[in-house]
Amino acid sequence: MSLQSGTDAIRISDLSVSYSAVVEETRETRGRRLGRRTRKRDIQALKEVSFNVPAGEAMGLIGGNGAGKSTLLKTIAGVLKPSDGQVDLWGRPHLLAPGMGFNSKLSGRENVVLGGLAAGMPIDEVREKQDSIIEFADIGGFIDLPTTTYSSGMFSRLAFAVATHVNPEILLIDEALSAGDAAFRDKAVSKVKEMCHQAQTIVVVSHSSALVSEMATHAVWLHRGRVKMVGEVRAVADSYIEFQAKERETAQYDRSIADRR
Amino acid sequence: MTTPDSPTISRRATRTGLPQLGHYLAEAYRYRTFALFWSKADIKARNFETVLGRLWHFLNPFLFGLIYFVFVGILSGGGFSNTNRLAFIVGNLYVWTFFSTIINTGVGSVQGGAGGITAQSAIPRVVLPFASTLTAGNLFLRSLIAYVPLHVVASRGLHWEMLWLPFLFLMTGLFGLGLALLLAVANVYFRDVSRLLPHFLRLWLYLSPAIWAYTRVIGDGWPVETLARLNPMYSGMTAWTIAFGGPLAPGDPSMVGSILVFSAWAVGTLLVGFFTFISREDEFAVRN
Repeated sequence: MSLQSGTDAIRISDLSVSYSAVVEETRETRGRRLGRRTRKRDIQALKEVSFNVPAGEAMGLIGGNGAGKSTLLKTIAGVLKPSDGQVDLWGRPHLLAPGMGFNSKLSGRENVVLGGLAAGMPIDEVREKQDSIIEFADIGGFIDLPTTTYSSGMFSRLAFAVATHVNPEILLIDEALSAGDAAFRDKAVSKVKEMCHQAQTIVVVSHSSALVSEMATHAVWLHRGRVKMVGEVRAVADSYIEFQAKERETAQYDRSIADRR
Repeated sequence: MTTPDSPTISRRATRTGLPQLGHYLAEAYRYRTFALFWSKADIKARNFETVLGRLWHFLNPFLFGLIYFVFVGILSGGGFSNTNRLAFIVGNLYVWTFFSTIINTGVGSVQGGAGGITAQSAIPRVVLPFASTLTAGNLFLRSLIAYVPLHVVASRGLHWEMLWLPFLFLMTGLFGLGLALLLAVANVYFRDVSRLLPHFLRLWLYLSPAIWAYTRVIGDGWPVETLARLNPMYSGMTAWTIAFGGPLAPGDPSMVGSILVFSAWAVGTLLVGFFTFISREDEFAVRN
């Protein structure tokens, strides 16, 4: 579906996401009980989150650990379901996930096909792009060897090459920009930027407000599952950096008080 | 800001946890080529770095059947000259291997996270056990190539009941898939399921007329015959035995009756398994 400027590509309304995670019990909480050593913990990852992303815009998600950035991205991607509220999308989303669908016992060439299909490309498109993907990965003769024989850098290169050859309407990026060695990392960042130019709408998640500022025009700052601020990326990033500095100061002050006692 | 058209995709909380069925099935269909390639990759990876490679697809069930034949021969004192019995055991064990592979691989495909698919992708998870069913079906059809010479040597011949073989293949696949879907969900909540599964399947094999003739319980009444007939694989294996080798004796259970009972189990289990699976699959990402 083609989108015109001035329309929404993503509309998030009162979105809440909670899930149960299984956590290992500690020796103290377990006591002398035999058998089951795990317990269920309910996690409220997002609370009443609302914002829109207009078509053709790059939106950054910033926030600290546990802010709910990845949960939000996965909910937009369809990996997680809303517990309340809704997510409406005008276009098909693609979460950049290097290595997804790979089988380590197959050759790199075979994994290009498998990974491409897992990323949602039709088989004709995978075959059409196969040479370009292999050329981008630049791993030489290793392409016909099982990926178990690859170094982690080679595996990252191939995985990244497959993931970035998809042409999505809505591109979702979650801290996926580190791939391979330093030389390849520059190539990877350029490739992602190229994807961003091609994609109609982008949502990028990062701890780094500098990276988000570079890639996005607007940003959402999430804090403990709630929206703290939405606006122009520079204004949001500045507020976030200021907030972080205050948090660090407070933590330092608390530590010094505790040390004096 | 105005957005004229209705959204391409709308994700919202549902009371039942079930996704919109039409959209879900359309998405699953979109990944049919992936399922096929995933299945092929699984078959290829199974015998990775072995000397005999693909030959193991035939050798595994054949050796399994041969061991049973030898032990049954020794224990029953019936000797080893009965090639018909060998064909009966090997044929049925190929069927059982098909059935149990769907379940084992289907449960494992979800548990293993499937190369990050359950944690990072919106691919309908039902595609994974479905791909496992394709894998098991593919391996079964290859193993039939090894069965055919045995069928000929045992003079089991050609008969009308053989025409049911494709339908039985389909029903066994559907029944296995339904169980794989149910057990995959159970395994996400209780990991012990995958540990118990091989033992459960082995016990089920012994309780089903795969290595013993279905006629053995006929006329026993309560409790042996009644309980045996409550086992869905009693009618399933009876139908397969008749389809491979013809009726064992006059007065045997009817082929059509066995197929009807088995088909009802298969379709019922598939429906229950499918709806249970899709109502729970969003939890796989956080529990795997």
